[in-house]
Amino acid sequence: MTPRPWLHGFLDLCLLAMLRERADYGYGLSQRLAAAGVADVPGGTLYPALLRLEEQGLAVPSWGPSESGPRRKNYAITQAGLDLLAGQAGDWRRFRDGVDSLLSAVPHE
Amino acid sequence: MSDWPTAFESELLRLGLQPARARRLADETTQQAAESAAPPADVFGPAHLYARHLVAELNTPTANFPRTRYQAGPVMLSLTGVTKRYRRQTVFEGVNLTVRGGEVAAIVGANGCGKSTLLRICAGLTRPSGGAVRRTRRVGFVPQDGGTAGWLTAEEHFTLFGSAAGMVPGRARSTGAHLATRLAWRPARQQRAQQMSGGTRQKLNLVLGELHAPDLLLLDEPYQGFDQGTYVDFWQQVLAWRDAGRAVVVVTHLLHDLQNVDHVLDLGATA
Repeated sequence: MTPRPWLHGFLDLCLLAMLRERADYGYGLSQRLAAAGVADVPGGTLYPALLRLEEQGLAVPSWGPSESGPRRKNYAITQAGLDLLAGQAGDWRRFRDGVDSLLSAVPHE
Repeated sequence: MSDWPTAFESELLRLGLQPARARRLADETTQQAAESAAPPADVFGPAHLYARHLVAELNTPTANFPRTRYQAGPVMLSLTGVTKRYRRQTVFEGVNLTVRGGEVAAIVGANGCGKSTLLRICAGLTRPSGGAVRRTRRVGFVPQDGGTAGWLTAEEHFTLFGSAAGMVPGRARSTGAHLATRLAWRPARQQRAQQMSGGTRQKLNLVLGELHAPDLLLLDEPYQGFDQGTYVDFWQQVLAWRDAGRAVVVVTHLLHDLQNVDHVLDLGATA
């Protein structure tokens, strides 16, 4: 799985992208991250990141019931979150293409 | 483990969060642990460590989110060609430095190169041998040591220093207590300055330097004796002052402090 320092820079981007797809709560998001093969994110990393998105107005929470047990904090992306995501998605693709081109370069003889 | 939320909440309070916010975060954190059907200690680790981690995270803007740079404000301090000599010996010469509101400057250099002397010149406590110094009217100065009276308690210091700045006693005391919590310090009512540890006395110095909300803060290695956590709080505090539009000058010999600094004045290089 992804080395921790890599994830640190991109967790917010991944969370916003998942929330754009559909609103979700913390545990569901961590399962989707794991299913996508991105990372097993511990709760101590995930929940502060969600709180940060909330405090910066990039995502809004609402409390909903769950099928079993305690109520859940469901997050939905805001317009500000969508705007930031659009900009960062472009940054990410440029970065990824740059790293790819460096990794695929062959030695000169 | 029903005491995890309690320990978590009290650590958040100690770190200076408002009680209502600490309560809300503790409640939510407990619920989040319940989402994954595990005790909080398994999900988040020890309560006090997670509290510190969370507070640090909340103070960091979202990754890749460009820090909204505070627009540099008016000039709060300007040194032009400042020179200091003792008898025939030149300590430094030709020092130029301009610091605006919303900026942090660091004065660095080896021991004995005159860092503290230069800071005292910035404060107007020492006369330069040559050159010009202009500074804003409201200046806060935090010396490396001293500056406190051994027989007075923290509250008495707040009252005394506050009255020198024209503050009524009640307001000076409440402001001092509030500023202290930002350094994770709760002054003990009876404790005199001479009974405080070196680190706590420096926190007192720091609070006194800021009590009257100066526009320019001059700090001489004010974190001597701070433990690691408080040291981090100190730099958070410096950045909070900067973002509030104040000008900050810090004397330091720790180079890893310099990443968030706008100007670095290396006295060793100019001497």
